[in-house]
Amino acid sequence: MPFKSNTKSTLELDKELRAFRKTRFRLLICIDGSDESYEGLKLASKLGRNHDVDIVLLYVRPIDQGLRSGGLQLRVVRENMLEWGLELPGIKYLKKGLDILIGEKGMAADWTEKSTHTDVWGDPMGDNKIEYRHDTGRSIVMKLKTAPDPASGILDQYELGPYNLIVMGEPSRWRGELMSFWNAGVVQKVAMLSLCSVMVARKRENVEGHLICTDGSENSLDSVRRQAVLAQYLESPITLLCVTPLKEDLDKIKYTVEKTRLSLEKSGISIKETRAIVGDPVEKITEIGADFAVIAVSDSGKSSMKRFILGSVAFNVMGKAKTSVLNAR
Amino acid sequence: MTTLSLVNDSLRAHAPEPAWSMRVRRRGYQRMLVVSSQINYYYFWEKRWFFISMLIGYTLLNIPPPEGLSHEGMVVLAMSIVATILFITEPVPLPTVALLIIVGQIFLLGISSTEVARSLMTDSVLFIMGSLMLAVAVVKQKLDKRIAWLIIRFTGTKTVNICFGISVVSGLLASFIGEHTVAAMMLPVGVTLITLTSDDPKQVRNLAAVLLFSICYGASVAGIGTPSGGARNAIMIGYWKEFFYDPTNPETNKFLIDYVTWMIYAYPMFLIQLPLVTVILLWTFKPEVTVLGRAAAKLRQEILLQGPMRPSDWVSIILFAGILYSWVFISSDVGMGTIAILGAAVFLIAGLVRWEDLNSGVNWGVVLLYAAAISLGVQMQQTGAAEWIAENFLSILEPIGADSGVGLWAAVSVLTTAVTNTMSNGAAVAVLGPIVLKLATVAGESPIILGFVTSISSAFAYLTVVGTPACTIVYASGYLKTTDFLKVGWRMMIMSICIMLASASVYWPLIES
Repeated sequence: MPFKSNTKSTLELDKELRAFRKTRFRLLICIDGSDESYEGLKLASKLGRNHDVDIVLLYVRPIDQGLRSGGLQLRVVRENMLEWGLELPGIKYLKKGLDILIGEKGMAADWTEKSTHTDVWGDPMGDNKIEYRHDTGRSIVMKLKTAPDPASGILDQYELGPYNLIVMGEPSRWRGELMSFWNAGVVQKVAMLSLCSVMVARKRENVEGHLICTDGSENSLDSVRRQAVLAQYLESPITLLCVTPLKEDLDKIKYTVEKTRLSLEKSGISIKETRAIVGDPVEKITEIGADFAVIAVSDSGKSSMKRFILGSVAFNVMGKAKTSVLNAR
Repeated sequence: MTTLSLVNDSLRAHAPEPAWSMRVRRRGYQRMLVVSSQINYYYFWEKRWFFISMLIGYTLLNIPPPEGLSHEGMVVLAMSIVATILFITEPVPLPTVALLIIVGQIFLLGISSTEVARSLMTDSVLFIMGSLMLAVAVVKQKLDKRIAWLIIRFTGTKTVNICFGISVVSGLLASFIGEHTVAAMMLPVGVTLITLTSDDPKQVRNLAAVLLFSICYGASVAGIGTPSGGARNAIMIGYWKEFFYDPTNPETNKFLIDYVTWMIYAYPMFLIQLPLVTVILLWTFKPEVTVLGRAAAKLRQEILLQGPMRPSDWVSIILFAGILYSWVFISSDVGMGTIAILGAAVFLIAGLVRWEDLNSGVNWGVVLLYAAAISLGVQMQQTGAAEWIAENFLSILEPIGADSGVGLWAAVSVLTTAVTNTMSNGAAVAVLGPIVLKLATVAGESPIILGFVTSISSAFAYLTVVGTPACTIVYASGYLKTTDFLKVGWRMMIMSICIMLASASVYWPLIES
């Protein structure tokens, strides 16, 4: 049964590839050409110095809707533009992203290049991928993806290979819980539905440091540790913050923050400052976070339904903050 | 599932044989788990508008029809409402709506399938099909560089003049061959001028907006000029003939609007709008660069590299001129659609375009969609649904004094503009056409003037990217933001509506009499 054995081997290969990918820190950076999306890329490029980091630059192009262009397929326009020697927007944005990642030097000879094309959604332009692999195992991928809408494209890409972090630019709109259920923007939708950590990058100058927020729960402690390791790696000073809406809990959270600090210092991570304050968590975190390069929050694994009923501090901070927010899961 | 059965097996090793009822229950539970793991709940959420529209349709079919509306009329009304919701929200691919309309006519209205199939293919549909094939054929001739060269030669290198030149050429061409063809041809010209001026799009944002909007708005305002300027015009001509023309009554001959008559009505409106497009664009976006000397010189160099005109270029120009001639002078006898498909056939015979290119460049779903929408429109008229809506719409307009004259035209224009900004303009005319024409009869107005108001207003979709084909194509370049369309679109809309109302009250009655 050649068909059966073939299927099996493909499955096995896929399994092996996934197992290999799990050993690496994989970043999915979504680029839409905006300044904010490149801001996230700059931050990620600091991480990319490590050999264990794989970076995938993703641009999602909506499927051609010939119906919207009066019946004339957009591919006719694209082909015409290519014949004029003009680059299509997605390719241009991805190339700019690659330039930011590799700097002025360009790709050295020890990087190998491989291009792949897949037909998807019945669209002949399909998915296009250029993979640069370094001798050390590090890889950078430029991927031009076709999907019905950007959010589904990003989530689809996440499904294709496990990622540790999805980086996106600042959203143009962020709706409340009720509205987001009905009609969410791209970034919000990905933040809602993705299983891995998500970072929303915002352009901000003359600020530095990580503001890591904790609520003292087991789940949060684990994510605080992961966030702190990341911040340490980025050589960014760490400030720990715990906010409670109840005055009587102040002593409790002071103890929690101190405990977290000790536990982190034991693992060799230095903490610049700890803060425990009373107030509305979302407001306080957003306010204090404005002076930091990154606010790190944790989603404590709430499902969308729970988020809808109980509300999520992490989620609201992502929408309201004025600086980049990393939501660890 | 594997974990579950493992747990079960390990437990069974230590437990006595369970009763048969337990076994059945366990199996049942396991099957339920399997089934529920296979159901994709998100599917229902994603397609929510489909289910909502079906529910609305079902409810409408099961309530007694209001006074003055027959059962068939109610069915067509329900189908139109469901189709409109599906057009706007797009939970399923749009051609699916066309298929549902066809099936609905057979099952819900009880019309025989042969009759429904016959109502799908009209001259308007042939025209839509033929003009789309012609659009691909024309774009493939690569005459765009020559056109760009001509523009620069006439306008010089000043940004203002180039923008006006682009609008004029885009407009003149689009008025005959449709805005999508022109937008596809001219987009590389605009983008080349932008990239040759600066590599950084941020430094030339306003210049990019002015150049690209000159193409798409220049083409959009031109689409109203001639019947071949857009599918919506052909659809309206079809409706006039279908609803009002009676071969036994010579008085109804005026409802046979031919190519030249349409041009007499609409072309002056396009010519007046043309210079205003450039004025509005330069008023909204102030270009960073006033002279495009460097870009123009580079463009000229590229065009010189192409060498002189080849014989095939001349053949395609002659063919195209022939098609235009036939549209203007003989389309009233043989139909516009016939000429369009004959033109496409001649392009194929001459070897100027490959069938594969036509096949992949045309979205055939559009043809199906328009065919079904027109067929539904005809049913709306025949079952009396259009008349019922028209009467009710008029009774709403009466208290505000908009039930006749300029008030009614403005109301129809605003309604069409609102609908066309949310769906393709051809579909908007196909759905609204029968209602508006009935409205004219009920209100004692001229169906020709109200028909023109609807057809022309459907070109005023300046506000959104999906409004007109030219906007969608130009947006694909990546240089424009959706907010840019809003920023300049409302000014364009007010300008166009004012000019159209002025034409309707002063110019058109003169022609009619």
